[in-house]
Amino acid sequence: MTGKDIYKIWAPTDAKWVDWVRPVPFIDINEKLELYEVSNFEIPNINYIHKLIPNTAIIIDIPGSESIKEGLAVAKLGYRPIPIYNGTTETKNARATVNNHLVTMGLIQGAFELKKIEISDKAMPAFLLDSNRMNRYKIDISVFDNSWDIYAQDIPSAEYFLKNNINQIIVRGDKIQKDLRKILYKFQEKGIKILFTNGYEEPKLVKIERILEKDK
Amino acid sequence: MKLVPIPNYNEYRLNLMFDAYKWDPQFLDNNTIAKYALVISKEEDEELKELTERLDKETRKSEEIINNNLNLAKMLKLPGKIKQEIKLMKNYNPDTHIRLMRYDFHPTCEQKWTVSEVNSDVPGGFAEASIMPQIAIDTLKENKYYYKNFGEILTRAIAKKVPAKGRIMLVHCTSYSDDRQVMQFLGDKLETLGLGVIYGAADHLIFNNNEAISILDGNEGKVDGIFRFTPLEWLIEIKPKHWQGYFNTITPSCNHPIAIFAQTKRFPLIWDALEKQGVDLGTWRKLLPETIEVKEVKGREEYIYKPACGRVGEKISIKEACSENEYEEIIKDVRRHPKRYIAQRKFSSKPVISENGEEFHVCIGSYSVEGMHAGYYARISKLPRIDSNAADIPVLIERS
Repeated sequence: MTGKDIYKIWAPTDAKWVDWVRPVPFIDINEKLELYEVSNFEIPNINYIHKLIPNTAIIIDIPGSESIKEGLAVAKLGYRPIPIYNGTTETKNARATVNNHLVTMGLIQGAFELKKIEISDKAMPAFLLDSNRMNRYKIDISVFDNSWDIYAQDIPSAEYFLKNNINQIIVRGDKIQKDLRKILYKFQEKGIKILFTNGYEEPKLVKIERILEKDK
Repeated sequence: MKLVPIPNYNEYRLNLMFDAYKWDPQFLDNNTIAKYALVISKEEDEELKELTERLDKETRKSEEIINNNLNLAKMLKLPGKIKQEIKLMKNYNPDTHIRLMRYDFHPTCEQKWTVSEVNSDVPGGFAEASIMPQIAIDTLKENKYYYKNFGEILTRAIAKKVPAKGRIMLVHCTSYSDDRQVMQFLGDKLETLGLGVIYGAADHLIFNNNEAISILDGNEGKVDGIFRFTPLEWLIEIKPKHWQGYFNTITPSCNHPIAIFAQTKRFPLIWDALEKQGVDLGTWRKLLPETIEVKEVKGREEYIYKPACGRVGEKISIKEACSENEYEEIIKDVRRHPKRYIAQRKFSSKPVISENGEEFHVCIGSYSVEGMHAGYYARISKLPRIDSNAADIPVLIERS
């Protein structure tokens, strides 16, 4: 299968929310791609939600292919997983700050699982993010920095969520990362409730504090 | 000029993502790929070509004069860090480097064309001006259209100045996929011409005897060319400071930092002085709306404000195109930092109307490479401000 074929599984024509699926991790998928399997690609059992929650979107922000597996787990509950990974590959022979290949491999393997799940065209979205995206540590200046941030323009606006009857967003992660906090602070201002879960506990309502200029 | 609907749009959009480096098809709630092609007549193409080349001649002559008399640059109010380094550009030789610019044309109610700015430093939209029109033609299945392949023209110009089989670093912000999509298109094209390509960040180059050296892991050593997609005003913020070499390098560069003189929107404010030095700016005078200092506006409503270092339509005070609170925030910033803005007489963009009555404002970016016209990158928007929310549209020329 080509990158385009895999993309079409994650972003089927006419399904809601799929316009936000980023093509970046699918681009390098071709016959020359060295395939290696993400070990133990199994869809996990999740305990923080047990069924589709009305008027609620999810953002899954955990490492690499784990986010894809968990995206498939919530797909089984009726959510539409929307991959919004945006990291590029390093130049040949260079060490990089983030291994974005793992996401690509996960999306390929995940596509085969996703095909087996029936999702309504009107399903609510679960956005998938790699929490390793902000690994900026460079052992020295020569390293290729392919870390990345999520920006407001990469997801729907607060107005769009509200217009589509979504008034709360659950963030699943170890924490709400800085780039996401910047976006969700503004969502909160516009009346969207933000809930957080570490994956073990029930999602709890949180208040996102404003990010001060010096901390940006 | 007319809008022609693209059939099989979903397939077309997908093809652009995977075959035409369009990795950012969505911006907030907006689809950034138009459902139309923009068709211009052969006469319109000829006219734009001629205007572009005339503007380009005037711009490059201005650069030469300013570089030889940096007193003229004072009114440009360039950022302090750039001001210090432009003194290094005395050795600038246009024959060594590759000059690329894009002039943004708008059809208007007042006259046929108005130019809103020149993207002198790091213009983008390469694949949209090269592969997108071909995919549109293939989708339309019509042989009455053709286009100018910008990518072919640019890469040929680079290959002329970079030694055969040489290595070129494509300098960009490596964390941004939006930058990488432009560089990846260019890199893939350059490789077909036998050049070696390194994707790197601005701080992956150091300079020794004015020659660029790569320090990127696994790609160390001399490079034979630099293609810079990191804007100068971002470059100078990089720490530690070893970017001065970009200003006096003898390694062929596209663009060399000489580009900053026309990149600032304050460029028109020194036209009087340039004309006294014998530069003909007649085409610029005819096409660019009157541009003045903020303090000269004195409450007149026919002017809009633009940031001197603005890009992609950001922070331009076109009231009807601003989102909530945005207009007030811009005005507040203009009052706080008037020297960082210019005021420009507002023009009335003349929308193009589709067959089903949809109205779109158009901006046709017309490229020049080494002084010659090199193709088009166009965007359309329902609002009169063409910014990141606008949609990319292929420009096709209709055979007469």
